[in-house]
Amino acid sequence: MSSLALLALLVAAEPTVPQYDIESVRVRYTQYAQTGLGYQSAAGPPGKPGSEWLRVEQPQAEVTARLDERVTERIWVPVDIVTAASPDHSRFGKPYDAVDTVTAASRTTPSSTLDTFTTYRADRATDLTMRAAFHIEEPFESWIVGLGASRSFAEDNTVVGVSANQILDWFDRFDLDGNRHGRATRSTTNLNADVTQVLSPTTLANLAYGGTLQTGELGNTWQSVLLSDMTRGEERLPGHRWRHAAAARLAQWLPWEGALTLSYRLYLDSWGIAAHSAEGALAQRVHPGVVLRASYRFHVQDAPAFFTTAADPMASGFRTSDSDLGPFHAQTFGGAVLVDLPLAHRAHDVHVDIGYERYVRSDNLRVDIATCGLGFRF
Amino acid sequence: MTARGLRRTLAALAVALALAASAAGCVVVPQNRRKRLADPMMRFQTDALEAHAHQKLYTSREAAAGGDGTPAGGGCACQ
Repeated sequence: MSSLALLALLVAAEPTVPQYDIESVRVRYTQYAQTGLGYQSAAGPPGKPGSEWLRVEQPQAEVTARLDERVTERIWVPVDIVTAASPDHSRFGKPYDAVDTVTAASRTTPSSTLDTFTTYRADRATDLTMRAAFHIEEPFESWIVGLGASRSFAEDNTVVGVSANQILDWFDRFDLDGNRHGRATRSTTNLNADVTQVLSPTTLANLAYGGTLQTGELGNTWQSVLLSDMTRGEERLPGHRWRHAAAARLAQWLPWEGALTLSYRLYLDSWGIAAHSAEGALAQRVHPGVVLRASYRFHVQDAPAFFTTAADPMASGFRTSDSDLGPFHAQTFGGAVLVDLPLAHRAHDVHVDIGYERYVRSDNLRVDIATCGLGFRF
Repeated sequence: MTARGLRRTLAALAVALALAASAAGCVVVPQNRRKRLADPMMRFQTDALEAHAHQKLYTSREAAAGGDGTPAGGGCACQ
């Protein structure tokens, strides 16, 4: 009898093993195929914009696990394999790619990030999050840390969130001939705030603001600028940049088993760039578990005052020919099929989707994006 | 945009965000009437991995980023 009591005591005294559950596993593969011309690219005839042809293969994997009743961990690994990241950087007929001579980055650049998010549920209405990430690509490294909090009010009809992120980039500095000149650094400090509000049983709204301060070397150091004498010089950018973005989003349930989401974003920065982005997506459930989605986005932006396609070779101020900083408008058309299948086994459901988008810019840059995703929820 | 115009616009944005925050909670929809809002089609971002694929395209090909809870730049050589 006493041995049974002792055994019962030992069982009761055994430390409880923390509950550990994989909640979901998701993978996604996206391919970008870009064509077009840009003035920052030297892969063209003298005095003309050069090729911006490139392809990106982007596999991603994500695992979300519940460590105990309060802690959830998300581990996410995106990988980018970029072909022709700096297309044919040769100048003046030199028979080599300048950046290639040192880094090979203009042929194929693999890059990867290990990103971890830990969420701690402080109480029924409050979540605290911590982010730690590391990114590496040739010749570039980044360290990222972040903190965030969200709290719901009014019976979860209102959710307020704030977050802060700090990024330190560390990369090689090159000139246009591929010579390495030590290291360059860049700091990015970011603050975000947003409010999500239930407006009705079928309407949801969200307002968000993000402010970012960047300091240090804000270019990649080897991007070229087209000069008025048909030669090329180095890009020169300011050493700091304040960036502000505010967005409003609305989601409306439609009575025929559909949903409409609309968003608008205003962007302003201290380089004098103003941009407007508007986006809409229409989703329609055509069968239980099967959703069709169509989306459209319009974006328009100004150029900074120092954008040029024919810089004065003798001038000493800031200058860039980067077409991504130029004045343009862009449209994105897309469609996707999403399928959710309930499973009777260990996984609750499996999600499969496939989509295609086409990004078209007024300066003739085009990107075709194909993506497919697979996810399991346990 | 001039520095003065930028400051005015940011001040207007701050006022708008403060008004929105102060108005929060004015509408209370009970949980048993929020079934439609929980539908995955009503999410502003359908999937974090898909959202990253979009961010990658837009942050590396446009001068404007942010407003989605992520930093505007940094963390990648393409930005």
